[in-house]
Amino acid sequence: MTAATTTAPTAIAARAVDATKVYGKGDTEVRALDGVTVDFPARAFTAIMGPSGSGKSTLMQCVAGLDTLSSGQVFIGSAELSQLSEKQLTLLRRDKVGFVFQAFNLVPTLTAYENITLPMDLAGRKPDSEWLQEVITTLGLADRLHHRPSELSGGQQQRVAVGRALASRPDIIFGDEPTGNLDSRSGAEILTFLRDAVTRMGQTVVMVTHDPVAASYADQVLFLADGRIVDRMDEPSAERVLDRIKQLGR
Amino acid sequence: MLHVTWKGLLAHKLRLATTAIAVLIGVAFMAGTLVLTATIGSTFDGLYADINAGTDVVVRSAESVSIGQGFGDVRAAVDESILPTVQGVDGVRVAEGNVSGYAQFVGRDGKAVGNPNRGAPTLGFAWSQDEALNPLRLADGAPPSGPGQVVVDKATADKEGFAVGDQVTVLTATGARQFTVSGITRFGKVDSPLGATLAVFDTATAQQVLGLSGKYTDIAVAAAPGTSQQELAERVQAALSPSFEAVTGKALTAEQQSQTRDALGFFNTFLLVFAVIALFVGCFLIYNTFSIIVAQRSREMALLRAIGAGRRQVLGSVLIEAVVTGLVASVVGVVAGLGVAVVLRNLLAALGIDIPASGLTIEPNAVLVPIVVGMVITVLSAYFPARRASKVPPVAAMREVQVDESGRSVMRVVAGGLVLGLGIALLFVGLFARPDNAVAVVGGGAVLTFLGVAVLGPVIAAPMARAIGWPIQRLRGTTGELARENAARSPKRTSATAAALMIGVGLVSFILILWASATDSIRSTVDKGFVGDFVVQSNAGFQGGLPPEVAASLRDLPEVGTVAEVRVTAAEVDGTGTQVPGVDPQGFGTIADLEVRAGSLSDLSRPSTIAVYDQHAKDKGWQLGDTVTVVFPATGPQQLQIVATYHDQNIGGNYLIGLPTFEANTQVQLDNSVYLKLAPGVSAEQGRSAIESVTDTYPNAEVQDKTEFADSIVGQVTSLLMLVIVLLLLAVVIALIGIANTLALSIFERTHELGLLRAVGMTRAQLRSAVRWESVIIALLGTVLGLLIGLFFGWALVRALSDQGFGGLSVPTGWLVVVVLVAFGAGVLAAVFPARRAARLDVLTAIATQ
Repeated sequence: MTAATTTAPTAIAARAVDATKVYGKGDTEVRALDGVTVDFPARAFTAIMGPSGSGKSTLMQCVAGLDTLSSGQVFIGSAELSQLSEKQLTLLRRDKVGFVFQAFNLVPTLTAYENITLPMDLAGRKPDSEWLQEVITTLGLADRLHHRPSELSGGQQQRVAVGRALASRPDIIFGDEPTGNLDSRSGAEILTFLRDAVTRMGQTVVMVTHDPVAASYADQVLFLADGRIVDRMDEPSAERVLDRIKQLGR
Repeated sequence: MLHVTWKGLLAHKLRLATTAIAVLIGVAFMAGTLVLTATIGSTFDGLYADINAGTDVVVRSAESVSIGQGFGDVRAAVDESILPTVQGVDGVRVAEGNVSGYAQFVGRDGKAVGNPNRGAPTLGFAWSQDEALNPLRLADGAPPSGPGQVVVDKATADKEGFAVGDQVTVLTATGARQFTVSGITRFGKVDSPLGATLAVFDTATAQQVLGLSGKYTDIAVAAAPGTSQQELAERVQAALSPSFEAVTGKALTAEQQSQTRDALGFFNTFLLVFAVIALFVGCFLIYNTFSIIVAQRSREMALLRAIGAGRRQVLGSVLIEAVVTGLVASVVGVVAGLGVAVVLRNLLAALGIDIPASGLTIEPNAVLVPIVVGMVITVLSAYFPARRASKVPPVAAMREVQVDESGRSVMRVVAGGLVLGLGIALLFVGLFARPDNAVAVVGGGAVLTFLGVAVLGPVIAAPMARAIGWPIQRLRGTTGELARENAARSPKRTSATAAALMIGVGLVSFILILWASATDSIRSTVDKGFVGDFVVQSNAGFQGGLPPEVAASLRDLPEVGTVAEVRVTAAEVDGTGTQVPGVDPQGFGTIADLEVRAGSLSDLSRPSTIAVYDQHAKDKGWQLGDTVTVVFPATGPQQLQIVATYHDQNIGGNYLIGLPTFEANTQVQLDNSVYLKLAPGVSAEQGRSAIESVTDTYPNAEVQDKTEFADSIVGQVTSLLMLVIVLLLLAVVIALIGIANTLALSIFERTHELGLLRAVGMTRAQLRSAVRWESVIIALLGTVLGLLIGLFFGWALVRALSDQGFGGLSVPTGWLVVVVLVAFGAGVLAAVFPARRAARLDVLTAIATQ
């Protein structure tokens, strides 16, 4: 990874301020997020790590506008999410955010191409065909565009999902264990694409993972435990991440 | 295992509830029909028992003619000269002549009160002097006495504001006459027997005005103390010639009650047909719901198998679920059926048929039959899905749940083709070969045709859904495409859902086509066959008519050229009871073009003659000049000579007799209608005002020109067929519940997919829209199939009835477009609940990995 292009972020793509998420009440109260304040720099690849129950998925979901905070603020660009209506949140996800989930990424009744252009079709916008072509070529999906998800391998399906996340050139792309269901070769492919999206295409990626190897593709890694950010690491490597995870586990 | 079943029931109560509603509606309608007819039956039973309460023996003519269809037997009146003979029989306390016939009041608004053709009868009676023989009890005033007095039933008096001392006009066979109201009477404990209007005169007046001079309808006898009904009947019979019969009051009551039961039987069957259609449609819904539930639970089933449950146990657990659902739905349905019966009863009351509030008569069969039928249907419909559940291999517990997206298989095409072919074959046999049980054969053919298309449904559902969805996709973009692809993705499910609607739409469009074809045929028949200018209708059907003096006065008008009156009597021709019209031999042939093939209609002016429809004569092997045996109620068997054959059956029917023959063989002369042709040079306006100057005295007479005449016939057909369509809506409603149910279940299955769509930016409105359009596509699929089947049924029936006056197939395009639009709207409506549910889905749960 060439540090020169990524270590000097010029802007913040998303930001959480004192983000708190509480489930339940009284004795059964669980603080999934406990006052997290964090910036996600634009044109950078951030990985969020932590043990199960650390709040890493909750953080991502709240920042991505899929879930709402109990208190605190989340910004995507200049928009403060708690100020947005349900519909405005939906439109924000459609127009400003890209998603790659672990599974159930694609609509089974639509072709690969239709899945890629789905957010824009929903918005009734024409995709930027030059950009779309580049994305499709980069992902090597040109000869798979008219296949249904059931006719694609798991790796291909995830590539289509990445394609969809990139196609509308969103402000930020969120990945929730995007390689969790893939074999290591397909997983590496997907991570390379995400890395490339940031490096070459200038996109912003935030990825939740429990895999140190996956985290090593990122520019920075945030470590969560008990709903708090306990550490961060720039230019991570798999070994260093693994060491840190082991410490956290203790 | 029972425990597991029970838990399953609880877990799926919402889904089973919709299944239950499908069963419930059909069962409720069935139970409601049975309860209502039993209630009406027992009400009439009570009525006849009341009428005959004090009557021990009735003397009447032995000869009777039955025209079936619940009209009962028609008998001649008896001569009044036999009354002294009866009175002289030992053991007779009192004997009185009964007189009854058509009598209709004219209300204060100048209109005739009641409509005997559609509602309760309008009757004229003689007042009985004997307390025991008379079921009437004065509420006010005095019994009628002398030619100028009448007693009115309390219901009519209250409704029309008649009071003792008022002058009222009464229409009878002998004209329109003024009477003074001498009293107001109740019938036993009620104001009027089942909404009938009663005009009661003294005996001599009744005989005179009702057209029965010197006659009694029958003679009622009360026994002296110590004489049994049976004994008395035998003694009276012994005193009379065999042309009279003496029957006991009990036997008469039983006979009248059984005639009512026969008449109710038609009504009962008519309504039950719709209950059966509703249940048939319900079968599709039950089958579909259980199929989907079983598919969604296949992991659970596999797990049960994996931990040691046998196939039969799995099968059993699903079937018990069906039994419980069916039982609960059927029991609730029967209870709801009581409500249906009350609603139907109030509906009848609103139509003027007042069934006294003696509560509901609930026979054991009205409870047991619907419950058993509801349960059997539920279990049968659930059997195939249950069997599929039992075949889930244990290893499936480890697999992802797969929605069955198959549709085509050679087996299916072959089986569906066979069922469809058999259905169409039966339909043709029933319609064209006309076996004795044609109705059953045609019905069976129709059911198999629907089933065949339903079996073939999955093969054609996907391509058809895509075709129907194409314009929607064009119009609505991604939302439309999702709707289209979702409708096409599970062909079995879509097709079973659409098939339910197909049945309702098929039958509705069939009725619409039948209606349009009948209407066009009627209009062209009137256009071609009726060459007169006006018709004066009595609108009294078989129960009354216009006094012959109306036609006589019309004949005297200089504006009128030709007058032909038409009367109707019951008669038995060559052994078959039927209605035979009597027509003016000179005028009828000029006003109606019957396409006479042999002989001449004017020969009907000779006594004992008859004209016959040529096709019917051919079937019977009759030639011009042959004689036919016709039994008239009044005169018994008569030999009538065939003097003409004609080709237009729509106007002529099978038989026509001339007025001379008619008058010689019937007692009461009432014109059903009078056909008129104006004198040359008289304009329609002049003609009408001249005719109305005569008919104004007779408010039951309606003057119609050619168009109005056709309209009035069309109107009768229309109201009957519209009633049928309203009842068919029951089946359509069930089909809509089916669509809603299927969508709701599918949405449950697509939780992840919908969550994803919401996550990547589909708005709630867009999601609702996608569900709505999917619903519309399924509804339109069912509608298109239904329309095709309706067209086919309509075509087949019209072809089969071409010899009975159907000119050709008429397709009411406008109405069929309305059907499509209604189906479209219904699709939108059915989607409301599922769409809302889909939109409310929590995005996070939806995308959560299992």
